[in-house]
Amino acid sequence: MAYLSTIDFFENRSFLDRWKAAMKGDLDLSWMNAATEQVECRPQNPRRGLTFRDLDVGSYGYTELPEIVRKNRTFAPRGAELVDGLPDLQPEVSRKSEVWAYNIEGYYEEAMTRQWNAATDIAWHDLAKYDVPDDVNRAFAQLCTFLSEVEMIATDVPAKWVGKLSADFFEVKNFVATQAMDEARHAEVFRKRALASGVGLMKASPQNEWSLKQLRDADSFAEMSVGLHLAGEGFVLTLFRFSELISPTDVDKKMFRLVMQDEARHVGYGMQHLKWVIDHFPEKREMIHAHLDEVENMIFGGGYATEVTESFIILSGKGLKKENIEQGVRITAQFQLKQIEEYFERLDKCGLTERRRMSKLANAMELTKAMLAEMGIAA
Amino acid sequence: MSFYLEKDYFADEELFNLVNQVMAGNLTLHWLDAKTERVRAVPRDTQRGLTYDDTNVGSYGYDAIAETLRDKYTMAPRGSEIWGRLPDLGYTINRKSDVWADDVARLYEEAKSRRWAPAVDVPWDALAAAKLPREIEAAVAQLSTTLEEIALVGLEMPSRWVCVINQEFLEMKSFLCAQMIDQARHLEAFRKRALIGGQGLKRASVAAEQALKEILFAETYPAASLSLNLMLGSGLLTLYRFLAAIAPSAVERRIFSFAMQDKARHVAYGMGHMRYHLARQPNQAAVLAEYLDRTEHCLLGVLAAPELVEAMVLIAGRPERVARFFERAVEEYLERCERIGFAQRGRRSRLRPTLRDVLAA
Repeated sequence: MAYLSTIDFFENRSFLDRWKAAMKGDLDLSWMNAATEQVECRPQNPRRGLTFRDLDVGSYGYTELPEIVRKNRTFAPRGAELVDGLPDLQPEVSRKSEVWAYNIEGYYEEAMTRQWNAATDIAWHDLAKYDVPDDVNRAFAQLCTFLSEVEMIATDVPAKWVGKLSADFFEVKNFVATQAMDEARHAEVFRKRALASGVGLMKASPQNEWSLKQLRDADSFAEMSVGLHLAGEGFVLTLFRFSELISPTDVDKKMFRLVMQDEARHVGYGMQHLKWVIDHFPEKREMIHAHLDEVENMIFGGGYATEVTESFIILSGKGLKKENIEQGVRITAQFQLKQIEEYFERLDKCGLTERRRMSKLANAMELTKAMLAEMGIAA
Repeated sequence: MSFYLEKDYFADEELFNLVNQVMAGNLTLHWLDAKTERVRAVPRDTQRGLTYDDTNVGSYGYDAIAETLRDKYTMAPRGSEIWGRLPDLGYTINRKSDVWADDVARLYEEAKSRRWAPAVDVPWDALAAAKLPREIEAAVAQLSTTLEEIALVGLEMPSRWVCVINQEFLEMKSFLCAQMIDQARHLEAFRKRALIGGQGLKRASVAAEQALKEILFAETYPAASLSLNLMLGSGLLTLYRFLAAIAPSAVERRIFSFAMQDKARHVAYGMGHMRYHLARQPNQAAVLAEYLDRTEHCLLGVLAAPELVEAMVLIAGRPERVARFFERAVEEYLERCERIGFAQRGRRSRLRPTLRDVLAA
C-alpha cells in the first residue's frame, strides 16, 4: 500500500465513540470556534456572479498568499483552521512564483463560463451542403489528424503537475482542470471533423511526437508552462487563426473560432505566468532562457513535419495545381513568419525582451525572410 | 530536462534543404495517400449532435481497441497511419480493461452537455435576502470546508492518472478530464458557499484527510477508481442527495442538485469500469475484494468525520435523520458492489456491523 491512514476507522475507539455520541445528539462542537476569519463575500458584479476575485479577502485570498507556503502541506482549504494530525501531501511545489499568474482567477472563471460542446455546437449536418474538392478535403483531414494528435499533450502535461502543487494554489489546479477539459474537447472536435469528412484520419506526425515528448519532460512547472502554454500553444493559436481563414467550409470556421477562444486563454495564462515569474522570481530568468533554447530547437525541427506544412499549403492555395501551390506557399510563408513574430512579441510583453538577441530562432526567421524574398515570395 | 531532441536543428542541413524544397513548391505529398479507412461519420440523432458513439466505426472505433497495446506508445490518433520513428511517451497503463467502461464515451458526452458554472448558476443572492440562523450557518460553513477538502482529492485523482494512460483510450481519458473539471467546480462551489455566509471556512478534518490520502494514494488505477469513484463516490452521492433534501436555503439546494448530477456520472463510470474490469480479469475480484476489506474504513473516515457528522446533525435538526442517511449510504454502496460482481460484499464488509454498533449505542 502506498499510504495507510494513521487511523483505522473500524478500530479507533475515540473516533467511534465520538461518532456514537454525535448520533445521540451529544455534540462536541469545538469546530464552531475554529480560529478562522469571519468574512461575508459578495458578488461585485452581479452579471458575473460570485467569482474567485470576490473571495480575495484576508487569509482566504490569493493576494495575501505568501511567496513560500510553509504551513499548509495538507488538503486543507486555504484559510481553514489547521489542526495536528492532518497528513502531509508531500507537495513538490510550494513557491507561489513557480505557478502563479496575474489574473489566474479571471482565466479560471472565463473558462467555466465559456465551456462549449463539440457534439452539439458545431453544425455537423451542414457539412453535407458543401462540395469540397477531394485534394482539399484530404488536406483538411490531414490538418485535423495533426491537431487531434497534439492537443491532448496540453492535458497530460499540466495534469501531471496538479498533484505536486501545494493545495494553497487551488486556483491554478482549477485552471489546469479547465484546460484539461478544453484540450479533450479539441482532440474530440478535430477527430470528429476528420471522421465526418468522408476521408477519415490521415498520417500521424512523428516529428511532432518527438516534440510532445520534449514538452512533457520539463524540469519545473514554470519551464513546462513556458514551453507548453506560451510557445507550443502560442504557435497553435496562430495556426488556428490562419486555419479559420483557409477553412473550406463555414462549419470549420466556427470550429476554429471556438477552439481559438480556449487556446487564447491558455496562452494568456502562459504569458501572465511568465510575467509573474520574471517579476517575482528573477533568478529563474537564465533557466527560462536555457529552456527556451531547447523549445525553439523543437519548433524549428517542426520543418520536418511536411505532412502539416503541405496540407496547409494546399488548403491555403485551395488545390494541388501549380498556381494553387504557388499561392499556398505564399500564404503559408506569411503564416509561419507570423507564428514566430507573435512568439517573440509575447516574450517581449512578458519582459523577456532580450530573447530576440539570444535566439537562434530569431536569426533563422531573418534568414527565412531573406530566402523567401530571393525566391520571389514576399515576406 | 530528462529528454533532449536528438539534433540541433538550426545546424541541420537536411532540414534546411527539405524546407527549401517544400517552399519552392515541390511538395513531398507522402501523406496524401495515407493507408487509412475512408469513413463519413454522421450524427444519428440530430439533437445529440455528432457523438463519440457516431464515430465508433471500423478501425477508428473504440470497439476496435485491443485488450493489450504492445506497439502504441505515442499520441498518434487511433486509426491514423503510423509511420517513421516514433518516441515512447511513457504510458504505463496499456490494458483496456484496466480503465475502460462500456458507457464511458456516453458519460463523457453527458458531462459536456450538463456543464454548469457555480459563479452564475447558483442563486447566491438568496442568502443575502434571508440569512440563516448563526448556528446553522456555522454548520453549513463547516460542511462546506470538509466538502472542499474532499473535492480537491476528487480533482487530484484523475490528474494523477490521466498522463500515464495510453492515448488509444482517448474517450476514457476525455472522461477523466470531464471529471477533473467537475471536481474543480465542486471545490469552487463549496468554497464560495462558505465564504458568502459570513462565517468563513471552519476546521480542516483530520479523519477525512487521513482517509482521503489513503484513497488517493491507491497503487493501481483499478483500485483508485474502485475506492474513489465507486466507494467514496457512492457515499458522496447519497450524502449530496441527503444534503439537498435538508438544505437550509436555495443556495445549498442548487449546489447539491448540480453536484449530485456530476457525482452520479462518476459513480456510473466507476461501476461500468469495475464491471468491465472484472469480466475480463476475473482473478482481480479476489484482489480487489481484499483491497476493499482494507480500505472501506476510509469511507467511514470521510462520511463519519466528526466535523461532517456534527454539522449534518445541526442542519438536519435530529440525529435520527442523519442515522437514516448513514444506513442508506452503506446499503446503497453495498448494493452497487454486489451488482457489479463483488458477490457477498454485504456479508464480508465491516461497514454494516460497525454502523449497527454505532447506531445501537
